[in-house]
Amino acid sequence: MASVQVSEAEKVYIMHGVRDDLRVDGRGCEDYRHMVIETDVVSNTDGSAKVSLGHSDILVGVKAEIGKPRALVPDEGYLEFFVDCSANATPEFEGRGGEELGIDLSNTLYKVFNNKHSIDLRSLCICPGEHCWVLYVDVLLLQCDGNLFDAISIAIKAALFNTRIPKVHISEDAEGGKEIELSDDPYDCVRLNVENVPCIVTLCKVGQRHVVDATLQEKACSVASLLLAVTHKGMVTCVRKMGGGSLDPESISEMTETGKRVGKALHAPLMDLLKKEEGLGKNRQKVGFLR
Amino acid sequence: MAGVELLSDQGYRLDGRKASELRKVQARMGVFAQADGSAYIEQGNTKALAVVYGPHEVRGSRSRTMHDRAVINCQYSMATFSTAERKRRPHGDRKSSEMSLHLKQTFEAAVLTQLYPRSQIDIYVKILQSDGGNYSACVNAATLALVDAGIPMRDYVCACTAGFVEDTPLADLCHAEESGGGTTLALALLPRSRHIALVQMDARLHQDHLDMLMEAAAEACRGLSKVLDGVVRQHLQEVSVLTRD
Amino acid sequence: MLKSKTFVKKTRSGGVMKIVREHYLRDDIWCGSEVCVECKDETPVLQKDACIESNLCTFPHYLIPDTNVVIQQIDILEDPLIRNVIILQTVLQEVRHRSAPIYKRIKDAIHDKEKHFYTFTNEHHRETFIEREQGESANDRNDRAIRVAAKWYSEHLSKAPDAGDLKVVLLTNDRDNKEKAEKSGLIVYKCEEYVKSLIANPELVDRLALTSDEQNEITGSRVVFPEHLPLSKIQAGIKSGTFLQGTFHANRDNYLEAKVYVHGEGDESTEVLVQGLLNLNRAVHQDVVAVELLPRENWVAPSSVVLIDDAQNDEDAEEEEAEKKVRKALDSKPAQGSTLKPTGRVVGIIKRNWRPFCGMLLQSHIKESTRHLFTPADRRIPRIRIETRQASTLEGQRIMVAIDGWPKNSRYPNGHFVKSLGSAGDKETETEVLLLEHDVPHLPFSQAVLSFLPKMPWSITEEDLKVRADLRHLTVCSVDPPGCTDIDDALHCRELENGNLEVGVHIADVSHFIRPGNALDQEAASRGTTVYLCGKRIDMVPELLSSNLCSLRSNVERLAFSCIWEMNQNAEIISTRFTKSVINSKASLTYAEAQMRIDDTSMNDDITKSLRGLNKLAKILKGRRIEKGALTLSSPEVRFHIDSETHDPIDLQTKELMETNSMVEEFMLLANISVAQKIYEEFSECALLRKHPAPPPSNYDILIKAASSKGLVIYIDSAKALADSLNDAQVEGFPYFNTLLRILATRCMMQAVYFCSGMDSDFQHYGLASPIYTHFTSPIRRYSDIIVHRLLAVAINADSTYPDLMDKHKQAALCNNLNYRHKMAQYAQRASVALHTQLFFKNRGILNEEGFILFVRKNAIIVLIPKFGLEGTVFFENKDKPSPRLSFDEEGPTLTVEDHPFHMFDKVKVTISLDSSNIQHQKIRMALSEPVIPGVSVSMPETEPEAKKPKLDR
Repeated sequence: MASVQVSEAEKVYIMHGVRDDLRVDGRGCEDYRHMVIETDVVSNTDGSAKVSLGHSDILVGVKAEIGKPRALVPDEGYLEFFVDCSANATPEFEGRGGEELGIDLSNTLYKVFNNKHSIDLRSLCICPGEHCWVLYVDVLLLQCDGNLFDAISIAIKAALFNTRIPKVHISEDAEGGKEIELSDDPYDCVRLNVENVPCIVTLCKVGQRHVVDATLQEKACSVASLLLAVTHKGMVTCVRKMGGGSLDPESISEMTETGKRVGKALHAPLMDLLKKEEGLGKNRQKVGFLR
Repeated sequence: MAGVELLSDQGYRLDGRKASELRKVQARMGVFAQADGSAYIEQGNTKALAVVYGPHEVRGSRSRTMHDRAVINCQYSMATFSTAERKRRPHGDRKSSEMSLHLKQTFEAAVLTQLYPRSQIDIYVKILQSDGGNYSACVNAATLALVDAGIPMRDYVCACTAGFVEDTPLADLCHAEESGGGTTLALALLPRSRHIALVQMDARLHQDHLDMLMEAAAEACRGLSKVLDGVVRQHLQEVSVLTRD
Repeated sequence: MLKSKTFVKKTRSGGVMKIVREHYLRDDIWCGSEVCVECKDETPVLQKDACIESNLCTFPHYLIPDTNVVIQQIDILEDPLIRNVIILQTVLQEVRHRSAPIYKRIKDAIHDKEKHFYTFTNEHHRETFIEREQGESANDRNDRAIRVAAKWYSEHLSKAPDAGDLKVVLLTNDRDNKEKAEKSGLIVYKCEEYVKSLIANPELVDRLALTSDEQNEITGSRVVFPEHLPLSKIQAGIKSGTFLQGTFHANRDNYLEAKVYVHGEGDESTEVLVQGLLNLNRAVHQDVVAVELLPRENWVAPSSVVLIDDAQNDEDAEEEEAEKKVRKALDSKPAQGSTLKPTGRVVGIIKRNWRPFCGMLLQSHIKESTRHLFTPADRRIPRIRIETRQASTLEGQRIMVAIDGWPKNSRYPNGHFVKSLGSAGDKETETEVLLLEHDVPHLPFSQAVLSFLPKMPWSITEEDLKVRADLRHLTVCSVDPPGCTDIDDALHCRELENGNLEVGVHIADVSHFIRPGNALDQEAASRGTTVYLCGKRIDMVPELLSSNLCSLRSNVERLAFSCIWEMNQNAEIISTRFTKSVINSKASLTYAEAQMRIDDTSMNDDITKSLRGLNKLAKILKGRRIEKGALTLSSPEVRFHIDSETHDPIDLQTKELMETNSMVEEFMLLANISVAQKIYEEFSECALLRKHPAPPPSNYDILIKAASSKGLVIYIDSAKALADSLNDAQVEGFPYFNTLLRILATRCMMQAVYFCSGMDSDFQHYGLASPIYTHFTSPIRRYSDIIVHRLLAVAINADSTYPDLMDKHKQAALCNNLNYRHKMAQYAQRASVALHTQLFFKNRGILNEEGFILFVRKNAIIVLIPKFGLEGTVFFENKDKPSPRLSFDEEGPTLTVEDHPFHMFDKVKVTISLDSSNIQHQKIRMALSEPVIPGVSVSMPETEPEAKKPKLDR
């Protein structure tokens, strides 16, 4: 469900709660809901992750394909984003219903993630000007319960962490002809450095205050929200105001401060979790959708 | 014969199964909270999600309304990363439209639609990973989702594929077997009445072999129905334990 | 039925696609041993007392060979002595991947019940499956899998209560693998060690293939070849155009020269010349190689010298001598620019095409030596160094040798002795050689194949009758050459009430017995055709079918596939019907017998009436066909009278054609055309058809020239024009001229080939002047007909299809094989005729016969002896004599020797004798005896052998 309708009385109740730093579900203003992360859930992708945040369910699959580098940056590979707002999430998305939202989401994601600050795009280059890796990051929206951006960004970071790109060798002969050879050892693969990959923190202005990880009800009470992409060092790489209302400059700087703080704090436990999960190795029982 | 050997002299298939053996089936109902019914199924490496909304008022144009029964609305889509080679779009191509239609036909035969006049039931299925038998995984997942939504049906609808290699019918083909050439038959069965909800076969096959192939597919469907029944009972038990507390 | 217990995913990256496959592990895979009580195997394959007497293993044991042992030592494994072998699935898969022929051989061995070979599906067994580890190569993983399986076996068997001393023995030639296996407590031997320890058969040692370890020891030569490039580099080079890929064709007459046929796009193909030992770089005839072109200034012209590698052993001195000879030959003839050909050198081998070669042993001068050189019968194959202790026994025998490898510092490839074929010059041996050299599969049918034969006594069942038309009441008869036991076809003809005629062609229903995809079918598909040699027939299908169940013999009920037409008296087809049927032939006649019945006006029984009806219609059909431009060509056909005792040829006779020959032929053609139309109509994409392309006009040059020398004109604008002008080409007082002309015309034709209708657009059969054609009428001896039967059966809903039948690519591949087999069968047939001709002349000394000049060459004339259907070359240049004055006029063409001009079709007399100076390459030698040219012609032998037979005028 992309949005809900809230009555005036409910609105007042929610806004009063936020004012007192006690939200309807008992959280404080800067608290996230319960989050479940699992990687490597789709075995035929090169990297995948499933994230549930409240009732928001996101599945991300990364597939690496060999493509041609863009003319302006011949020594870099690039990422492509596609967000599939499937009818599973809500019947509104049936047919082409989810397309608009999907395009909006994927464009934002492209801006946030496809730059050399978040990922070393040079490491995706195979042969300058001729071949590079293109990472297709496909986001599948399975259930919407607010705060999609944050959940998607975490899922993308987890999926990129999980991504293993097969190692390739370029054999070159005297004539300059190049041949790409894949390593025949399945263990022989390249990992991405995801340290600098930012997480998105969306702050919702509710009354005079702002909250992170807004539920659909809270979103309905908010006039506007601010999207921030924050790296593990607390650096903000992207800011975007969203929603119909307007924000005054003061609250924007306030929200930025909160966003930086929350975003910075988000990275360390996420990385810990991912490393711990990887440490389980092959013996890890994969759960996926089976509970 | 060039290519892969689909059935070894010792009677084993590529993945080590015997001719009539199914892949490992795992399923779960009630995956999502927001939908009226949902289910997830794994048949080997083929993974499908199904959600059901409804019965509810008919959305969109009124002209679709049936005054004596419910409209079944299906959409089949595939995650862009579900296939070995990345798909450009999840649905809307000819193949998915055809699949949507097939699902609609299958469930019109099974759901007691006359109980819900002037309403609509949405069935959305999504293939998360594809390794042969997409249609059957979708049917099986949708059956569970319908059960989860509490929509009355004549019977479980169980679907399975069967193929034909060197005079031996193979049950529940994986992708490598489907693409190995030869006939593939997809069958959706209402196991108790042994009625057939849908049968589809693309390649040419002699009539004499059809019975054998149908029987193999039906046998596989019956096997599957046992598994699905087990999943439903397990789910009910879990839910009733929760509600008792 | 046991469900899968555990499952492990196997990932395989091909391209950038990540493919994930499931891999189920089971615990219901049995060990297959008789002693085991744990496994619930009902018919264990491996015996309890598995005894191969060996010095090393004094206990009963099962052998587990690794992949390389199977591939390299298949000759050993096939020996009846070797039994109770466990073939692991890992090994079988690797073999399948690496060598299709060996895969087939090992499968045959597994099917042979006597061999007690057991396939253990270790990759799906819960306890023997292993996953590839990090940093482990695929090969290492497989080696480990083999060790794990062997270990499992030894532990598993030790648990059996009455196993006794039963153990498993791992055979591997890999040092590393052996060490690791020993460490884990396995009994492991090198294949060589083990074979040498065998008590029962010391001769087996000779069949050991040399493995790379040993090869280094026996190379003493100073020749060092350039290293072959690895495949990856070759592929990169081919892609960039630096290298060319092609098939290597060694020159028959000069062992230091070869051509590489580079397959270009479409029909375009170029030839690259390769000269010199180092440039040839160990490529063997028929290998697929990569060549690099030399710079233009190093291009050479093909040499015309005959150079045979006749060094007695591999001393380098002689080697250099030979090299010098070539260089001298090349230098002495300054090459003109126009004759220079693109020249290159072999840089790498893409695919070896080695097979076992026939030939003879050249004994080493050193008596005790065990290393000898082997000279293959095919001059294009280099000599092979082998190791054997039986050199003295093998002397004078034809033997088979397989190449194992060719190290870069060895002058000759290394190989091993496979088997002896018998003494050279012997008819059986030589027949065997010609079969092997023409790649004609002629081994007895394997058990696996025979297991698909119907059980005897066989009879037609009720079910058969239900689905077939019962035509037993019809007066069907067959007409064949005398002595024919595989009767494919039978005919009938009867008058209908409406005055029309019903004509039926009934073809043996072979596809009823040979079901698609089984071993019998695969064997037949691989053989492709029955090969008829003089006095010997190599069946495509086992004799039970070819000479009994499928053969439409008289007075027995047989299954048939019938093509029945209703025709009016004018031989116009009113309707065509195809049906599977049951017939009961009333008579098996020879052509002569049938002819007699037709001609004998006193005979008026049903059979004779039927024959007369057929004959009448056939004449009309033939007339109509010729009207359309069908060609009647001619080739000198000879039959040997074979002595019934010794099977030696005692006389020869040209085939005589009767009206009945063409009667049968006419209806077969009609059936084939009708069937072709039907299957093409039904399966436009995958019908198997036969086409005969029209030859390019330049092919006819020689024919036109030859005719014009007699003042005749041949028109080649169309088949019809050609046929007509051939008919009109008569020379007074020279009745044989027309036949000669037709023989020449035959040589201008293209080869008829099978093809799949979905892969081609040109269907024309030029020779028969039919827009569409196929082969339907001889399923007993041609596999193409079996496929056509199957297609037709599907078309009339009498049978079912199977995937391969409907797959045009597979069908095209099948056509390629059939075309290849037919070509080889033809060559083998010719070689057999040549062999018998030689045997015939062997006992007759020197003969003097009359012949005609068929072709005129620069230094020779080619003469056809009609009496023997024999063609031979009369050379006017001789090694030991000074050459006569020769002048050649291309226009005639005329060759003037001294002062005597030779034209085409001139009548000459030649002496014929057998030249057996080279025992491997015996040949017929012809020399001119008339016209007498001093210094050139030879004198007639004193006593002219009885030339009693009247000269044949045809």
